[in-house]
Amino acid sequence: MNARNVRLICAVPLCAIFAAGLFAGTISPYPYAKQFRERPNAAPSSTHLLGTDSLGRDLFTRLIYGTRVSLLLAPAAALLATLLAGILGGLAGLTGGWSEKLILAATDLSTALPLLFVLLALRALLPLDISPVLSVIATFTLLGLLGWPSSLRVVWAATRNLRNSDFLLLARATGCSRWRIIVRHLFPNLRPVLFAQFWISIPVFVLTEATLSMLGLGVIEPLPSWGNLLRGLEDISAVSANPWRLTPLVLLILVVICFQLILPAQEETA
Amino acid sequence: MLAVICLLGGLLSASLVRFSPGYGMDERELDPRLSQASVEAIRNSHRLNAGLFSYYGHYLAHAVHGDFGSSEWLQRPISSLIKERLPVTAESVLGGVSLAWLFALTLSLAGVFFRGLYFDISTTLFSAVLIALPAAVVAIFSVYLRTPVFVAIAVVTFPKLFRYLHNLLNHAYAQPYILAARARGISQAKILFHHVLPLASPALFALLGVSLAVAFGAAIPIEALCDSPGVGQLAWQAALNRDLPLIMNLTLLVTLITVAANMLASIAHERVL
Repeated sequence: MNARNVRLICAVPLCAIFAAGLFAGTISPYPYAKQFRERPNAAPSSTHLLGTDSLGRDLFTRLIYGTRVSLLLAPAAALLATLLAGILGGLAGLTGGWSEKLILAATDLSTALPLLFVLLALRALLPLDISPVLSVIATFTLLGLLGWPSSLRVVWAATRNLRNSDFLLLARATGCSRWRIIVRHLFPNLRPVLFAQFWISIPVFVLTEATLSMLGLGVIEPLPSWGNLLRGLEDISAVSANPWRLTPLVLLILVVICFQLILPAQEETA
Repeated sequence: MLAVICLLGGLLSASLVRFSPGYGMDERELDPRLSQASVEAIRNSHRLNAGLFSYYGHYLAHAVHGDFGSSEWLQRPISSLIKERLPVTAESVLGGVSLAWLFALTLSLAGVFFRGLYFDISTTLFSAVLIALPAAVVAIFSVYLRTPVFVAIAVVTFPKLFRYLHNLLNHAYAQPYILAARARGISQAKILFHHVLPLASPALFALLGVSLAVAFGAAIPIEALCDSPGVGQLAWQAALNRDLPLIMNLTLLVTLITVAANMLASIAHERVL
Protein backbone atom coordinates (compact mmCIF):
# COMPACT_ATOMS: atom_id res chain seq x y z
CA MET A 1 0.00 0.00 0.00
CA ASN A 2 1.68 3.21 -1.05
CA ALA A 3 1.28 6.67 0.42
CA ARG A 4 -1.18 7.74 -2.25
CA ASN A 5 -3.61 4.95 -1.39
CA VAL A 6 -3.37 5.74 2.34
CA ARG A 7 -4.17 9.35 1.53
CA LEU A 8 -7.16 8.30 -0.54
CA ILE A 9 -8.47 5.97 2.14
CA CYS A 10 -8.18 8.74 4.74
CA ALA A 11 -9.75 11.37 2.51
CA VAL A 12 -12.98 9.41 2.00
CA PRO A 13 -14.18 9.33 5.65
CA LEU A 14 -12.98 12.90 6.20
CA CYS A 15 -14.99 14.18 3.23
CA ALA A 16 -18.03 12.19 4.34
CA ILE A 17 -17.83 13.58 7.89
CA PHE A 18 -17.31 17.11 6.59
CA ALA A 19 -20.31 16.79 4.28
CA ALA A 20 -22.45 15.42 7.12
CA GLY A 21 -21.53 18.42 9.24
CA LEU A 22 -22.17 20.84 6.42
CA PHE A 23 -25.63 19.46 5.65
CA ALA A 24 -26.53 18.81 9.29
CA GLY A 25 -29.90 20.50 8.87
CA THR A 26 -31.08 18.13 6.14
CA ILE A 27 -29.56 14.90 7.52
CA SER A 28 -30.68 15.10 11.12
CA PRO A 29 -34.33 14.43 11.84
CA TYR A 30 -34.73 16.78 14.84
CA PRO A 31 -33.48 20.19 16.06
CA TYR A 32 -30.37 19.73 18.22
CA ALA A 33 -31.92 21.09 21.41
CA LYS A 34 -35.26 19.23 21.16
CA GLN A 35 -35.98 17.15 24.24
CA PHE A 36 -37.94 13.91 24.31
CA ARG A 37 -38.73 14.13 27.98
CA GLU A 38 -40.50 10.78 28.12
CA ARG A 39 -37.41 8.83 27.03
CA PRO A 40 -34.11 10.03 28.51
CA ASN A 41 -31.09 7.71 28.18
CA ALA A 42 -32.91 5.67 25.52
CA ALA A 43 -31.13 2.84 23.69
CA PRO A 44 -30.59 3.08 19.93
CA SER A 45 -33.77 2.51 17.93
CA SER A 46 -35.20 3.41 14.52
CA THR A 47 -36.42 6.78 15.82
CA HIS A 48 -33.17 7.59 17.64
CA LEU A 49 -30.24 6.06 15.76
CA LEU A 50 -27.76 6.48 18.61
CA GLY A 51 -30.26 6.76 21.44
CA THR A 52 -30.81 9.84 23.57
CA ASP A 53 -28.74 11.59 26.25
CA SER A 54 -29.69 12.08 29.90
CA LEU A 55 -31.84 15.10 28.95
CA GLY A 56 -33.67 13.09 26.29
CA ARG A 57 -32.04 14.79 23.29
CA ASP A 58 -31.34 12.76 20.15
CA LEU A 59 -27.65 11.85 20.18
CA PHE A 60 -27.34 11.35 16.42
CA THR A 61 -28.65 14.86 15.77
CA ARG A 62 -26.35 16.36 18.38
CA LEU A 63 -23.40 14.47 16.96
CA ILE A 64 -23.99 15.84 13.46
CA TYR A 65 -24.51 19.41 14.65
CA GLY A 66 -21.47 19.03 16.91
CA THR A 67 -19.45 17.92 13.89
CA ARG A 68 -20.52 21.08 12.13
CA VAL A 69 -19.34 23.27 15.00
CA SER A 70 -16.04 21.47 15.55
CA LEU A 71 -15.07 20.68 11.98
CA LEU A 72 -16.03 23.99 10.42
CA LEU A 73 -14.62 26.26 13.06
CA ALA A 74 -11.34 24.44 13.75
CA PRO A 75 -10.19 25.09 10.15
CA ALA A 76 -11.29 28.71 10.53
CA ALA A 77 -9.16 29.04 13.67
CA ALA A 78 -6.30 27.25 11.89
CA LEU A 79 -6.62 29.71 9.02
CA LEU A 80 -6.38 32.64 11.43
CA ALA A 81 -3.34 31.12 13.18
CA THR A 82 -1.61 30.33 9.87
CA LEU A 83 -2.35 33.82 8.57
CA LEU A 84 -0.79 35.38 11.65
CA ALA A 85 2.19 33.02 11.45
CA GLY A 86 2.56 33.71 7.72
CA ILE A 87 2.47 37.49 8.05
CA LEU A 88 4.73 37.70 11.10
CA GLY A 89 7.06 34.88 10.00
CA GLY A 90 7.31 36.28 6.48
CA LEU A 91 8.03 39.74 7.84
CA ALA A 92 10.71 38.41 10.18
CA GLY A 93 12.34 36.26 7.53
CA LEU A 94 12.22 38.88 4.79
CA THR A 95 13.26 42.03 6.61
CA GLY A 96 15.72 40.68 9.14
CA GLY A 97 17.30 43.14 11.57
CA TRP A 98 15.60 44.27 14.74
CA SER A 99 12.07 43.40 13.63
CA GLU A 100 13.20 39.79 13.11
CA LYS A 101 14.77 39.74 16.57
CA LEU A 102 11.65 41.25 18.12
CA ILE A 103 9.25 38.83 16.44
CA LEU A 104 11.39 35.80 17.29
CA ALA A 105 11.71 36.92 20.91
CA ALA A 106 7.92 37.28 21.10
CA THR A 107 7.58 33.80 19.62
CA ASP A 108 9.98 32.33 22.14
CA LEU A 109 8.04 33.95 24.94
CA SER A 110 4.74 32.61 23.58
CA THR A 111 6.03 29.09 23.10
CA ALA A 112 7.25 29.07 26.70
CA LEU A 113 3.71 29.85 27.87
CA PRO A 114 1.67 26.68 28.27
CA LEU A 115 -1.21 27.12 25.81
CA LEU A 116 -3.93 25.78 28.07
CA PHE A 117 -3.00 28.06 30.99
CA VAL A 118 -3.11 31.14 28.74
CA LEU A 119 -6.40 30.00 27.20
CA LEU A 120 -7.91 29.64 30.67
CA ALA A 121 -6.62 33.06 31.70
CA LEU A 122 -8.03 34.79 28.62
CA ARG A 123 -11.29 32.87 28.86
CA ALA A 124 -11.55 34.02 32.48
CA LEU A 125 -11.36 37.62 31.25
CA LEU A 126 -14.55 37.11 29.25
CA PRO A 127 -17.81 36.68 31.06
CA LEU A 128 -18.88 33.06 31.52
CA ASP A 129 -22.60 33.59 30.91
CA ILE A 130 -22.36 34.55 27.24
CA SER A 131 -24.68 33.12 24.61
CA PRO A 132 -23.73 29.73 23.10
CA VAL A 133 -22.95 31.18 19.67
CA LEU A 134 -20.68 33.82 21.22
CA SER A 135 -18.96 31.10 23.26
CA VAL A 136 -18.15 29.20 20.05
CA ILE A 137 -16.74 32.33 18.41
CA ALA A 138 -14.77 33.26 21.53
CA THR A 139 -13.30 29.77 21.90
CA PHE A 140 -12.13 29.40 18.32
CA THR A 141 -10.93 33.02 18.02
CA LEU A 142 -8.80 32.51 21.12
CA LEU A 143 -7.42 29.28 19.65
CA GLY A 144 -6.59 31.05 16.41
CA LEU A 145 -5.01 34.02 18.14
CA LEU A 146 -2.86 31.83 20.40
CA GLY A 147 -1.97 29.00 18.02
CA TRP A 148 0.54 30.78 15.77
CA PRO A 149 3.92 30.51 17.57
CA SER A 150 4.72 26.93 16.57
CA SER A 151 3.97 27.65 12.90
CA LEU A 152 5.87 30.91 12.88
CA ARG A 153 9.29 29.32 13.32
CA VAL A 154 8.74 27.08 10.32
CA VAL A 155 7.51 29.91 8.11
CA TRP A 156 10.37 32.12 9.28
CA ALA A 157 12.99 29.47 8.46
CA ALA A 158 11.48 28.89 5.01
CA THR A 159 11.34 32.62 4.25
CA ARG A 160 14.91 33.14 5.37
CA ASN A 161 16.08 30.39 3.04
CA LEU A 162 14.17 32.01 0.21
CA ARG A 163 15.62 35.43 1.00
CA ASN A 164 19.11 34.10 0.43
CA SER A 165 18.13 32.25 -2.76
CA ASP A 166 19.51 33.13 -6.16
CA PHE A 167 16.21 33.73 -7.90
CA LEU A 168 15.21 36.40 -5.38
CA LEU A 169 18.56 38.08 -5.88
CA LEU A 170 17.93 38.00 -9.62
CA ALA A 171 14.43 39.38 -9.16
CA ARG A 172 15.78 42.18 -7.02
CA ALA A 173 18.54 42.89 -9.53
CA THR A 174 16.04 43.24 -12.37
CA GLY A 175 14.22 45.87 -10.34
CA CYS A 176 11.15 43.97 -9.19
CA SER A 177 9.09 45.99 -6.74
CA ARG A 178 8.77 44.73 -3.17
CA TRP A 179 5.13 43.77 -3.66
CA ARG A 180 5.85 41.87 -6.84
CA ILE A 181 8.60 39.92 -5.08
CA ILE A 182 6.26 39.02 -2.26
CA VAL A 183 3.24 38.13 -4.38
CA ARG A 184 4.89 36.50 -7.40
CA HIS A 185 8.08 34.99 -6.00
CA LEU A 186 7.81 34.53 -2.26
CA PHE A 187 4.21 33.49 -1.71
CA PRO A 188 4.06 30.65 -4.31
CA ASN A 189 7.16 29.14 -2.71
CA LEU A 190 5.76 29.48 0.80
CA ARG A 191 2.36 28.06 -0.09
CA PRO A 192 3.19 24.39 0.65
CA VAL A 193 4.72 25.31 4.00
CA LEU A 194 1.71 27.41 4.94
CA PHE A 195 -0.67 24.69 3.82
CA ALA A 196 1.18 22.07 5.90
CA GLN A 197 1.04 24.34 8.97
CA PHE A 198 -2.66 24.96 8.40
CA TRP A 199 -3.27 21.24 8.14
CA ILE A 200 -1.26 20.43 11.28
CA SER A 201 -3.14 23.05 13.32
CA ILE A 202 -6.63 21.67 12.62
CA PRO A 203 -6.47 18.47 14.73
CA VAL A 204 -4.63 20.35 17.49
CA PHE A 205 -7.47 22.87 17.67
CA VAL A 206 -10.15 20.18 17.51
CA LEU A 207 -8.53 18.44 20.49
CA THR A 208 -8.01 21.65 22.47
CA GLU A 209 -11.63 22.66 21.92
CA ALA A 210 -12.71 19.24 23.17
CA THR A 211 -10.67 19.61 26.36
CA LEU A 212 -11.85 23.19 26.96
CA SER A 213 -15.51 22.29 26.45
CA MET A 214 -15.18 19.27 28.73
CA LEU A 215 -13.90 21.63 31.43
CA GLY A 216 -16.93 23.88 30.95
CA LEU A 217 -14.88 26.73 29.48
CA GLY A 218 -15.47 26.18 25.77
CA VAL A 219 -18.67 25.84 23.79
CA ILE A 220 -21.69 26.32 26.04
CA GLU A 221 -24.80 24.09 26.06
CA PRO A 222 -27.27 23.64 24.42
CA LEU A 223 -25.09 24.14 21.34
CA PRO A 224 -23.35 20.80 20.72
CA SER A 225 -19.66 20.38 19.91
CA TRP A 226 -17.48 17.30 20.14
CA GLY A 227 -16.14 18.51 23.49
CA ASN A 228 -19.66 18.97 24.85
CA LEU A 229 -20.71 15.55 23.64
CA LEU A 230 -17.67 13.94 25.25
CA ARG A 231 -18.85 15.31 28.57
CA GLY A 232 -21.40 12.51 28.42
CA LEU A 233 -18.55 10.06 29.07
CA GLU A 234 -18.30 11.28 32.66
CA ASP A 235 -21.40 9.24 33.45
CA ILE A 236 -19.96 5.73 33.51
CA SER A 237 -23.24 3.91 34.21
CA ALA A 238 -24.86 5.50 31.14
CA VAL A 239 -21.87 4.63 28.97
CA SER A 240 -21.80 1.01 30.05
CA ALA A 241 -25.56 0.74 29.52
CA ASN A 242 -25.35 2.30 26.06
CA PRO A 243 -21.89 1.90 24.47
CA TRP A 244 -23.12 3.93 21.48
CA ARG A 245 -22.38 6.96 23.60
CA LEU A 246 -18.74 6.42 22.69
CA THR A 247 -19.48 7.36 19.06
CA PRO A 248 -18.31 11.00 19.43
CA LEU A 249 -14.99 9.74 20.80
CA VAL A 250 -14.60 7.23 17.96
CA LEU A 251 -15.41 9.94 15.42
CA LEU A 252 -12.91 12.30 17.01
CA ILE A 253 -10.13 9.69 16.99
CA LEU A 254 -10.93 8.76 13.38
CA VAL A 255 -10.80 12.37 12.20
CA VAL A 256 -7.57 13.21 14.03
CA ILE A 257 -5.84 10.08 12.73
CA CYS A 258 -7.02 10.79 9.17
CA PHE A 259 -5.66 14.34 9.41
CA GLN A 260 -2.33 12.98 10.61
CA LEU A 261 -2.05 10.34 7.89
CA ILE A 262 -2.87 12.73 5.07
CA LEU A 263 -0.27 15.27 6.11
CA PRO A 264 3.07 13.60 5.24
CA ALA A 265 1.85 13.11 1.71
CA GLN A 266 1.20 16.83 1.42
CA GLU A 267 4.72 17.54 2.57
CA GLU A 268 6.16 15.16 -0.01
CA THR A 269 4.34 16.79 -2.89
CA ALA A 270 5.42 20.21 -1.69
CA MET B 1 16.85 35.74 29.52
CA LEU B 2 14.98 34.31 32.48
CA ALA B 3 14.79 37.76 34.08
CA VAL B 4 13.52 39.35 30.86
CA ILE B 5 10.77 36.75 30.51
CA CYS B 6 9.88 37.25 34.18
CA LEU B 7 9.56 41.00 33.79
CA LEU B 8 7.72 40.89 30.46
CA GLY B 9 5.35 38.15 31.58
CA GLY B 10 4.73 40.04 34.79
CA LEU B 11 3.92 43.23 32.90
CA LEU B 12 1.59 41.34 30.59
CA SER B 13 -0.27 39.69 33.42
CA ALA B 14 -0.36 42.92 35.43
CA SER B 15 -1.94 44.78 32.52
CA LEU B 16 -4.53 42.03 32.06
CA VAL B 17 -5.46 42.16 35.74
CA ARG B 18 -5.44 45.96 35.80
CA PHE B 19 -7.69 46.36 32.75
CA SER B 20 -10.07 43.51 33.50
CA PRO B 21 -13.68 44.62 34.04
CA GLY B 22 -14.44 45.27 37.68
CA TYR B 23 -10.89 46.02 38.76
CA GLY B 24 -10.63 48.27 41.81
CA MET B 25 -14.09 47.43 43.10
CA ASP B 26 -14.13 46.20 46.62
CA GLU B 27 -17.09 44.44 48.20
CA ARG B 28 -16.08 45.86 51.57
CA GLU B 29 -17.28 49.27 50.36
CA LEU B 30 -20.84 47.95 50.61
CA ASP B 31 -20.46 46.83 54.22
CA PRO B 32 -22.84 49.06 56.27
CA ARG B 33 -20.77 48.57 59.42
CA LEU B 34 -17.85 50.53 57.96
CA SER B 35 -17.74 54.27 58.58
CA GLN B 36 -17.36 56.78 55.77
CA ALA B 37 -13.70 57.26 56.74
CA SER B 38 -12.91 53.53 56.41
CA VAL B 39 -14.59 53.34 53.00
CA GLU B 40 -12.58 56.38 51.94
CA ALA B 41 -9.39 54.66 53.16
CA ILE B 42 -10.18 51.52 51.13
CA ARG B 43 -10.83 53.61 48.02
CA ASN B 44 -7.59 55.50 48.54
CA SER B 45 -5.58 52.29 48.81
CA HIS B 46 -6.89 51.32 45.37
CA ARG B 47 -6.38 54.76 43.90
CA LEU B 48 -2.68 54.64 44.75
CA ASN B 49 -2.20 51.87 42.21
CA ALA B 50 -4.55 53.09 39.54
CA GLY B 51 -1.99 53.52 36.74
CA LEU B 52 -0.64 50.41 35.00
CA PHE B 53 2.99 51.09 35.78
CA SER B 54 2.45 52.07 39.38
CA TYR B 55 0.33 48.92 39.76
CA TYR B 56 3.09 46.87 38.17
CA GLY B 57 5.77 48.49 40.31
CA HIS B 58 3.69 47.77 43.38
CA TYR B 59 3.24 44.15 42.29
CA LEU B 60 6.99 43.71 41.62
CA ALA B 61 8.01 45.32 44.90
CA HIS B 62 5.81 42.87 46.75
CA ALA B 63 6.73 39.91 44.56
CA VAL B 64 10.43 40.12 45.43
CA HIS B 65 9.39 39.74 49.06
CA GLY B 66 7.43 36.63 48.20
CA ASP B 67 4.03 38.36 48.32
CA PHE B 68 2.08 37.82 45.08
CA GLY B 69 -1.10 39.47 46.29
CA SER B 70 -4.14 37.53 47.30
CA SER B 71 -6.77 35.52 45.50
CA GLU B 72 -10.07 37.37 45.02
CA TRP B 73 -12.09 34.19 45.11
CA LEU B 74 -10.52 32.31 48.04
CA GLN B 75 -9.49 35.45 49.95
CA ARG B 76 -6.13 33.88 50.70
CA PRO B 77 -2.54 34.89 49.87
CA ILE B 78 -1.53 33.41 46.52
CA SER B 79 1.91 32.42 47.80
CA SER B 80 0.41 30.14 50.46
CA LEU B 81 -1.96 28.59 47.90
CA ILE B 82 0.99 27.86 45.61
CA LYS B 83 3.05 26.45 48.45
CA GLU B 84 0.19 24.10 49.25
CA ARG B 85 -0.59 23.02 45.68
CA LEU B 86 2.72 23.00 43.85
CA PRO B 87 4.20 19.85 45.47
CA VAL B 88 1.16 17.81 44.34
CA THR B 89 1.50 18.93 40.72
CA ALA B 90 5.29 18.71 40.76
CA GLU B 91 5.09 15.11 41.89
CA SER B 92 2.55 14.03 39.27
CA VAL B 93 4.16 16.01 36.44
CA LEU B 94 7.66 14.70 37.20
CA GLY B 95 6.34 11.16 37.55
CA GLY B 96 4.35 11.48 34.34
CA VAL B 97 7.21 12.96 32.32
CA SER B 98 9.67 10.30 33.55
CA LEU B 99 7.27 7.49 32.73
CA ALA B 100 6.53 8.96 29.29
CA TRP B 101 10.25 9.33 28.54
CA LEU B 102 10.94 5.79 29.70
CA PHE B 103 8.29 4.35 27.41
CA ALA B 104 8.96 6.61 24.44
CA LEU B 105 12.71 6.09 24.53
CA THR B 106 12.43 2.33 25.00
CA LEU B 107 9.92 1.91 22.21
CA SER B 108 11.70 4.15 19.71
CA LEU B 109 15.10 2.60 20.50
CA ALA B 110 13.58 -0.85 20.11
CA GLY B 111 12.11 0.27 16.80
CA VAL B 112 15.53 1.29 15.51
CA PHE B 113 17.21 -1.77 17.02
CA PHE B 114 14.91 -4.43 15.56
CA ARG B 115 13.85 -2.52 12.45
CA GLY B 116 10.77 -4.71 12.04
CA LEU B 117 8.00 -3.40 9.80
CA TYR B 118 5.17 -4.76 11.96
CA PHE B 119 6.72 -3.44 15.16
CA ASP B 120 7.05 -0.06 13.51
CA ILE B 121 3.47 0.02 12.23
CA SER B 122 1.97 -1.18 15.51
CA THR B 123 3.85 1.34 17.69
CA THR B 124 3.05 4.17 15.27
CA LEU B 125 -0.63 3.24 15.25
CA PHE B 126 -0.67 2.94 19.03
CA SER B 127 0.77 6.41 19.47
CA ALA B 128 -1.51 7.83 16.76
CA VAL B 129 -4.58 6.62 18.67
CA LEU B 130 -3.21 8.03 21.94
CA ILE B 131 -2.43 11.39 20.32
CA ALA B 132 -6.02 11.59 19.09
CA LEU B 133 -7.40 11.38 22.65
CA PRO B 134 -8.10 14.78 24.23
CA ALA B 135 -6.41 15.13 27.63
CA ALA B 136 -9.80 15.39 29.33
CA VAL B 137 -10.90 12.01 27.91
CA VAL B 138 -7.68 10.43 29.22
CA ALA B 139 -8.54 11.94 32.60
CA ILE B 140 -12.02 10.37 32.54
CA PHE B 141 -10.59 6.96 31.62
CA SER B 142 -8.08 7.26 34.43
CA VAL B 143 -10.97 7.92 36.83
CA TYR B 144 -12.74 4.80 35.51
CA LEU B 145 -9.64 2.66 35.86
CA ARG B 146 -8.52 4.30 39.13
CA THR B 147 -4.99 4.89 37.90
CA PRO B 148 -2.79 7.47 39.66
CA VAL B 149 -2.72 10.99 38.20
CA PHE B 150 0.86 10.72 36.95
CA VAL B 151 -0.08 7.78 34.72
CA ALA B 152 -2.71 9.91 32.98
CA ILE B 153 -0.15 12.68 32.46
CA ALA B 154 2.26 10.11 31.04
CA VAL B 155 -0.41 8.85 28.63
CA VAL B 156 -0.93 12.38 27.31
CA THR B 157 2.79 13.19 27.07
CA PHE B 158 3.99 9.86 25.66
CA PRO B 159 2.60 9.97 22.09
CA LYS B 160 3.94 13.46 21.41
CA LEU B 161 7.35 12.48 22.72
CA PHE B 162 7.34 9.17 20.90
CA ARG B 163 6.60 10.76 17.55
CA TYR B 164 9.54 13.15 17.84
CA LEU B 165 11.91 10.50 19.16
CA HIS B 166 10.90 8.02 16.49
CA ASN B 167 11.54 10.49 13.66
CA LEU B 168 14.72 11.74 15.29
CA LEU B 169 16.29 8.32 15.76
CA ASN B 170 15.21 7.09 12.33
CA HIS B 171 16.68 10.20 10.75
CA ALA B 172 19.94 9.69 12.64
CA TYR B 173 19.98 6.02 11.64
CA ALA B 174 19.59 6.90 7.96
CA GLN B 175 22.89 8.81 7.87
CA PRO B 176 25.50 7.39 5.47
CA TYR B 177 28.11 6.77 8.16
CA ILE B 178 25.70 4.44 9.95
CA LEU B 179 25.53 2.39 6.76
CA ALA B 180 29.33 2.39 6.68
CA ALA B 181 29.45 1.24 10.30
CA ARG B 182 26.98 -1.55 9.57
CA ALA B 183 29.00 -2.61 6.54
CA ARG B 184 32.04 -2.98 8.78
CA GLY B 185 30.11 -5.39 10.95
CA ILE B 186 29.86 -3.23 14.06
CA SER B 187 27.21 -4.58 16.41
CA GLN B 188 23.75 -3.03 16.34
CA ALA B 189 23.89 -2.02 20.02
CA LYS B 190 27.21 -0.28 19.55
CA ILE B 191 25.88 1.61 16.52
CA LEU B 192 22.86 2.67 18.51
CA PHE B 193 24.67 3.94 21.59
CA HIS B 194 27.88 5.23 20.00
CA HIS B 195 26.64 6.69 16.73
CA VAL B 196 22.89 7.22 16.68
CA LEU B 197 22.20 8.59 20.16
CA PRO B 198 25.06 11.14 20.24
CA LEU B 199 23.87 12.55 16.92
CA ALA B 200 20.34 12.94 18.23
CA SER B 201 21.34 14.20 21.68
CA PRO B 202 20.94 17.99 21.15
CA ALA B 203 17.35 17.49 20.07
CA LEU B 204 16.77 15.05 22.94
CA PHE B 205 17.85 17.67 25.47
CA ALA B 206 15.66 20.28 23.80
CA LEU B 207 12.72 17.87 24.05
CA LEU B 208 13.09 17.67 27.83
CA GLY B 209 11.79 21.20 28.29
CA VAL B 210 9.04 20.75 25.70
CA SER B 211 7.78 17.58 27.36
CA LEU B 212 7.57 19.42 30.68
CA ALA B 213 5.43 22.16 29.08
CA VAL B 214 3.14 19.51 27.56
CA ALA B 215 2.81 17.77 30.92
CA PHE B 216 1.90 21.00 32.74
CA GLY B 217 -0.72 21.73 30.09
CA ALA B 218 -2.14 18.24 30.53
CA ALA B 219 -2.20 18.71 34.30
CA ILE B 220 -5.12 21.18 34.07
CA PRO B 221 -7.82 18.87 32.70
CA ILE B 222 -6.42 15.81 34.43
CA GLU B 223 -6.23 17.35 37.89
CA ALA B 224 -9.59 19.04 37.38
CA LEU B 225 -11.41 15.84 36.43
CA CYS B 226 -9.46 13.45 38.72
CA ASP B 227 -9.90 15.83 41.66
CA SER B 228 -6.20 16.03 42.45
CA PRO B 229 -5.56 19.19 44.49
CA GLY B 230 -2.71 20.64 42.43
CA VAL B 231 -1.89 23.82 40.55
CA GLY B 232 -3.75 22.71 37.42
CA GLN B 233 -6.99 22.23 39.33
CA LEU B 234 -6.46 25.59 41.02
CA ALA B 235 -6.04 27.29 37.62
CA TRP B 236 -9.25 25.69 36.38
CA GLN B 237 -11.21 26.79 39.45
CA ALA B 238 -9.69 30.25 39.20
CA ALA B 239 -10.86 30.49 35.57
CA LEU B 240 -14.38 29.37 36.51
CA ASN B 241 -14.49 31.94 39.31
CA ARG B 242 -12.88 34.70 37.24
CA ASP B 243 -10.04 35.08 39.72
CA LEU B 244 -7.57 36.84 37.44
CA PRO B 245 -4.74 37.63 39.87
CA LEU B 246 -4.58 33.96 40.86
CA ILE B 247 -4.60 32.51 37.33
CA MET B 248 -2.09 35.09 36.09
CA ASN B 249 0.35 34.24 38.86
CA LEU B 250 -0.11 30.52 38.19
CA THR B 251 0.54 31.00 34.46
CA LEU B 252 3.65 33.00 35.27
CA LEU B 253 4.85 30.32 37.67
CA VAL B 254 4.41 27.49 35.15
CA THR B 255 6.09 29.57 32.44
CA LEU B 256 9.06 30.20 34.70
CA ILE B 257 9.35 26.50 35.49
CA THR B 258 9.33 25.48 31.82
CA VAL B 259 11.77 28.22 30.81
CA ALA B 260 14.08 27.30 33.68
CA ALA B 261 13.87 23.62 32.68
CA ASN B 262 14.76 24.54 29.09
CA MET B 263 17.78 26.51 30.25
CA LEU B 264 18.90 23.74 32.60
CA ALA B 265 18.60 21.26 29.75
CA SER B 266 20.74 23.37 27.44
CA ILE B 267 23.34 23.95 30.19
CA ALA B 268 23.39 20.22 30.98
CA HIS B 269 23.87 19.48 27.30
CA GLU B 270 26.86 21.83 27.05
CA ARG B 271 28.44 20.22 30.09
CA VAL B 272 27.90 16.65 28.96
CA LEU B 273 29.14 17.04 25.41
